[in-house]
Amino acid sequence: MMRRLFPLLALCACLLAPAALADGPSTRVSHVWIRQAPPGLDVMAGYFTLENLTAKPLDLTGIISPDFGSVMMHESVVKDGQESMVELPKITLPAHGSVEFKPGGYHLMLMQPKKNLYAGDMVSLTLTFSDGSQLAILAYVRRDAPTD
Amino acid sequence: MKWKALLPYAGLMFMALAIGVFASYLTFGGRSVERPHTDALLLHDARPLPDFSLTDTGGTVFTRAQLMGHWSLLYFGYTHCPDACPTTLAALDRMMRLLDKLPAARRPHVYFISVDPQRDDPKLLKTYAAYFNPGFTGLTASVPNLKALTGPLGADFSYSRPDKKGDYAVVHSTMVVLVDPEAAEMALFTPPLDPKRMAADYANIIRYYGEQQS
Repeated sequence: MMRRLFPLLALCACLLAPAALADGPSTRVSHVWIRQAPPGLDVMAGYFTLENLTAKPLDLTGIISPDFGSVMMHESVVKDGQESMVELPKITLPAHGSVEFKPGGYHLMLMQPKKNLYAGDMVSLTLTFSDGSQLAILAYVRRDAPTD
Repeated sequence: MKWKALLPYAGLMFMALAIGVFASYLTFGGRSVERPHTDALLLHDARPLPDFSLTDTGGTVFTRAQLMGHWSLLYFGYTHCPDACPTTLAALDRMMRLLDKLPAARRPHVYFISVDPQRDDPKLLKTYAAYFNPGFTGLTASVPNLKALTGPLGADFSYSRPDKKGDYAVVHSTMVVLVDPEAAEMALFTPPLDPKRMAADYANIIRYYGEQQS
């Protein structure tokens, strides 16, 4: 029973956590998903859209997950038709603006998973911002991008 | 009484059609073939691929000769690539599903060519390619042998400096190369890859190729 309730409790926590820190949440997240790793591999990419609800620019300064040994923010950069990945120490969200983590652009690089993760599994992530606020989110593992 | 009122319009439409057919005959003069408009970069003249020697996941040598007689899509990447490679291979899988209705002989073969032979052994490469589509073929080779193909195609690659754990990223090409049944580079798909547009472009390009041959 508790196991079933866990996602719900975590969701409540994610809704309440930012509110506890400020008068209102400073960020909002949507379109969250993590790409399932092909067999034999353990590097996964995570994607979401992050909105800054405040009137000031906000930096996303770190992401941690209890489900992975390491989480990094990366950008796939294409120059002269060559793709490379650049690690980003922070990503700035413009005031009242949003940043999209999507295939071929910004993405989370999730490494050293604590267990095998397959489509439908849920991963929790905690995002930290320059104003000290944190946002806990839950992401489903999917085989491919959701089509909208 | 209603259909009678429509008669003049039908007549006009028929005349417009006849004029259109006549005009296109004048413009394109019978046999000359019109190049399709594509999102894909359709080369003005197909470029024959250089000679190369790769190895498939069964250990068999794979050369230019293996690309003769069918359409091919080549993509250069590496399995430890979290973002670009899965995104491209998933797009190619969707494209293939859209081309399902084509006769098998007209469907392209998809080749995932690993430019990271150090980590991508045949077993890993085989399961990786098949994970995206059971019909996809994994290929790789030694770095010099890979360069013999990637160099002339403009699909060069390099390795980033390894981190403390020895992990490294590979800088690689983002394009998908369409190779015609004479093993010549005919078109390039570049990101963002839209499976629907890729499938439509592919159908137009192979039709154009067929018209050129006839």
